[in-house]
Amino acid sequence: MTEEEKRALAGEYVLGLMDDAARRNFDRRAEADPELAAMAQALAGHMAALDATATPLAHDPALWSRIEARLDMAPDTNVVPIRPARPPLSRLLLPLAASVLVALGIGYFTGTATRPMIEPTVIAVMLNQGEGTPSVIVEAYADDSVRLIPLERFSAPKGQILQVWTLPDPATGPVSLGTIGATEEIRLKGPNLPVPQVGQLYEITLEPAPGSPTGRPTGPVLVKGFAYAPVR
Amino acid sequence: MPPESPDIAALLTRIATGDRAALAELFDLEAGRLLSIARRIVRRQDLAEEVVQDAFVAVWQRASQFQPERGSASGWLTTIVRNRALNLLRDGSRIDYHDGETLAAIGDRAADALNAFDALSERDALKTCLAQLDEFKRRAILLCYVTGLNHGEVAATLNAPLGTVKAWIRRGTIALQECLS
Repeated sequence: MTEEEKRALAGEYVLGLMDDAARRNFDRRAEADPELAAMAQALAGHMAALDATATPLAHDPALWSRIEARLDMAPDTNVVPIRPARPPLSRLLLPLAASVLVALGIGYFTGTATRPMIEPTVIAVMLNQGEGTPSVIVEAYADDSVRLIPLERFSAPKGQILQVWTLPDPATGPVSLGTIGATEEIRLKGPNLPVPQVGQLYEITLEPAPGSPTGRPTGPVLVKGFAYAPVR
Repeated sequence: MPPESPDIAALLTRIATGDRAALAELFDLEAGRLLSIARRIVRRQDLAEEVVQDAFVAVWQRASQFQPERGSASGWLTTIVRNRALNLLRDGSRIDYHDGETLAAIGDRAADALNAFDALSERDALKTCLAQLDEFKRRAILLCYVTGLNHGEVAATLNAPLGTVKAWIRRGTIALQECLS
């Protein structure tokens, strides 16, 4: 790249003209190219003077308490493994043992003070977006938690993470349910959301660790599926 | 430009250790400024508050990633807020710029961009160098940076062809960096 091309790229980056993918691509390039990194850093430093002209605004007094509520369910604290992943075949052959483990798992997770949850509200089978084969089962409960049951094992490369999302409705947009390093049987305590609905989308994307920098999916979708209600 | 408060970097160090009181202090110190930056981009108070809320959660999770040698602490905060605001602006389901935005709102953006430029200190090299650019290049750069417009939106706002606007921004940012360096 010529110096001029680098300056043009640094300009686009600092001006906010890149989408997430282009921004990550630039970050990777800048890691390997100190000159490019220095250009972006210098321009950003100068442009910050424009941000300093912004007159501070008053905010809703409840804003801080809303932030505090979000901290209580930050993704790095909401992951509770139940037990290591097992091969899918043994699960199919041992339904009784599996249900005992589930019962134990629920007891372990919720403790004795709360009423145990019996049945998931909806179930989604997330399909591998490469081969289109069933990959991970999601059981979504009315208490905002979900349980993942992997049918195949995959893990995030170093420096990246698997992030689980759902789309309660298009107006809300995708909401993170938590992050995992690899697919394993795990229960995630998601944020406070409406009761999961039939047809609700669940997906797992690959994100930079420790989670999507934007709070929305930015990386490739690895598996996804829509929710169905179990027949009872 | 007011000098950077040295407290911010120290607060980030405490936040990285899980000190919630430090995050509360940072909020008291910076929320008003960050809200104002977000509002220049997303235009609505409720959306700007949502951006600030997301940003403070991100700061809580990522304070340990702040690297002083790569820029100032307030710049790091601003970048988080700017990127979130830009993502919200680009999220079609939340704001529809093309259909929903009125001419008056476009005018507000142009006024915000111009006011930010006017408010720069005369001693600031950025002001000198921006002032040396052609008017249209300057306005295009300010609309992008201050109010978060993309190439197409700048073209609509300045009533100019998209290719021309892309060339203005490219040549303008190159000339700006050469002047500043």
